[in-house]
Amino acid sequence: MSAENQQPSSSEIPEIAVTQTGPNLAQKPSVLVLGMAGSGKTTFVQRLTAYLHARKTPPYVINLDPAVSKVPYPVNVDIRDTVKYKEVMKEFGMGPNGAIMTCLNLMCTRFDKVIELINKRSDDFSVCLLDTPGQIEAFTWSASGSIITDSLASSHPTVVMYIVDSARATNPTTFMSNMLYACSILYRTKLPFIVVFNKADIVKPTFALKWMQDFERFDEALEDNRSSYMNDLSRSLSLVLDEFYCGLKTVCVSSATGEGFDDVMTAISESVEAYKTEYVPMYEKVLAEKKELDEKERKKREEEAMKGKAVHDLNKQDGDGEDDDGMLESELNAKVDRIHLGGVDEENDEDAEIERAT
Amino acid sequence: MKYAQLVMGPAGSGKSTYCSVMHNHCLSTGRTLRMVNLDPACEVFNYPAVVDVRDLISVNDVQEDEELILGPNGALVFCMEYLVQNLDWLHDELDEGEDDYFVIDCPGQIELYSHLPVMRQIVDALKSWDFNVCSVFLIDTNFVLEAEKFISGALTALSAMVAIETPAINVLTKMDLLSERNKQLVDEFLETDTRSIVDQDETVWNSKHRRLTRTIAQVLEDYSIVKFVPLNCEDEESIDQLLLTIDTTIQYGEDLEVKDHYPEELDPEQLDHI
Repeated sequence: MSAENQQPSSSEIPEIAVTQTGPNLAQKPSVLVLGMAGSGKTTFVQRLTAYLHARKTPPYVINLDPAVSKVPYPVNVDIRDTVKYKEVMKEFGMGPNGAIMTCLNLMCTRFDKVIELINKRSDDFSVCLLDTPGQIEAFTWSASGSIITDSLASSHPTVVMYIVDSARATNPTTFMSNMLYACSILYRTKLPFIVVFNKADIVKPTFALKWMQDFERFDEALEDNRSSYMNDLSRSLSLVLDEFYCGLKTVCVSSATGEGFDDVMTAISESVEAYKTEYVPMYEKVLAEKKELDEKERKKREEEAMKGKAVHDLNKQDGDGEDDDGMLESELNAKVDRIHLGGVDEENDEDAEIERAT
Repeated sequence: MKYAQLVMGPAGSGKSTYCSVMHNHCLSTGRTLRMVNLDPACEVFNYPAVVDVRDLISVNDVQEDEELILGPNGALVFCMEYLVQNLDWLHDELDEGEDDYFVIDCPGQIELYSHLPVMRQIVDALKSWDFNVCSVFLIDTNFVLEAEKFISGALTALSAMVAIETPAINVLTKMDLLSERNKQLVDEFLETDTRSIVDQDETVWNSKHRRLTRTIAQVLEDYSIVKFVPLNCEDEESIDQLLLTIDTTIQYGEDLEVKDHYPEELDPEQLDHI
């Protein structure tokens, strides 16, 4: 797509500022709500927000979906204030998908401010909820999605909630495909992971729990569906999923009726504990390794400079991309100014209480 | 027998670039690839398409329609479902002749493969029209520069694969954009036994998920169809190698006798026919 030439590429988006002190474990957790389009992420956030307000333990809510027309919950930070989706489409001449990615990329460059806000307000809320774009790839397979996730996780406890449409998941092939995708997200983020079977008012998710507990049963259900071509691979993948389910937290809810939300909060607090024991040491290790690597490279460059050799920055791409990058960047900046990027300096204090439409 | 590559992958993985690179490469070697755009949300592409779904319906049409109030995702789903209801149109447009080879640029959204039957229905239709179909799943190499991210990529590809049930080739794109250090890293991943890659890092997270990781690595090892092939668009040899791999998978150029096992399982004698 031509759009790819104009938006910041993955090499141009700045790396996250690595905090020297490590994540603040005392801070209230953030929950990234992910899921396929139509799984009910926004409705889930809406219901959870209402649930927490009713218990006088309000959440801090952030909307990261730039293309949503109506946000049905009181929101503290809305990406639509920072970046105007329709203007992005016009200004960059992009289609809807390109515009969503670009909005996220632009938001990403300001995300440190969002983290500041979350940190500042941490005493006032019980949990921070982040609603993500409708199409899951905009978040899971994009540089900005990764940066946003990593920024959160390196700042304070962060947990992923993966919403599943129980009604669609009754098809075993869909179920398997969905669970494999969930597993892929687990490996990408390495964060504590909770699978939420939503729409329990339409279909009781007990079938899913049974499939997860009984490999043979699931395999039988699959067999009716699949062609012999995939037999062996399919069976092996069922075994993979079997391992995935060990120790996997699941909750069954209905965002429509509100059932199951006590379990949601329990799952979140258990996951925060897991974050402390699993994610933090890993983060600290990565931090230490990066420092070591940077130190090595710095020394190498010093040596080369002293020998009078030309120094190649290993982080930049080889070849003569520099001129193009420079030009693109200033073009981008010019265009960005015209879109009037809103600041994230103020949250929607007065507005936070009312539902917002476009 | 006709042949079709289904080009799939997340947004930004380089599907349209792949299509134009393949088209140009084949032009220079005297082969004709017939290009098809099946992405109703696509804006611009650099290859000559013999069929474009936007002639039938596009996301812009749907979003402008006053009666349907759909966001970008709803519009995409609507378009795909409309296409599935009008497969005759597609068949007419394809107008395929014997031995024709098509490259089909598909929409990226994983929901269309795993959640909705639409892509599956399109694949089934192609098969009923006597096509050998193979998916080419693209992933941007920049996203798989760590062992766990590599596994994540493989799982995403598998997630799409189990849904549409075709042979698949997974391609790591944008190899030309990697730094030297990262290129070496990727080469290492591709050449080493997956199981040993994952044993390298000792962290609490890895230990907790060790069994799962090993099981996944085992599948990647056992089923070489899930292996990744690197693509450097600037390197003719790289493009050629990939095309050869896909042609073999799709059984293009072999005897017309139908073979229903993976290329790795063919006898060496049979391979001489290629």
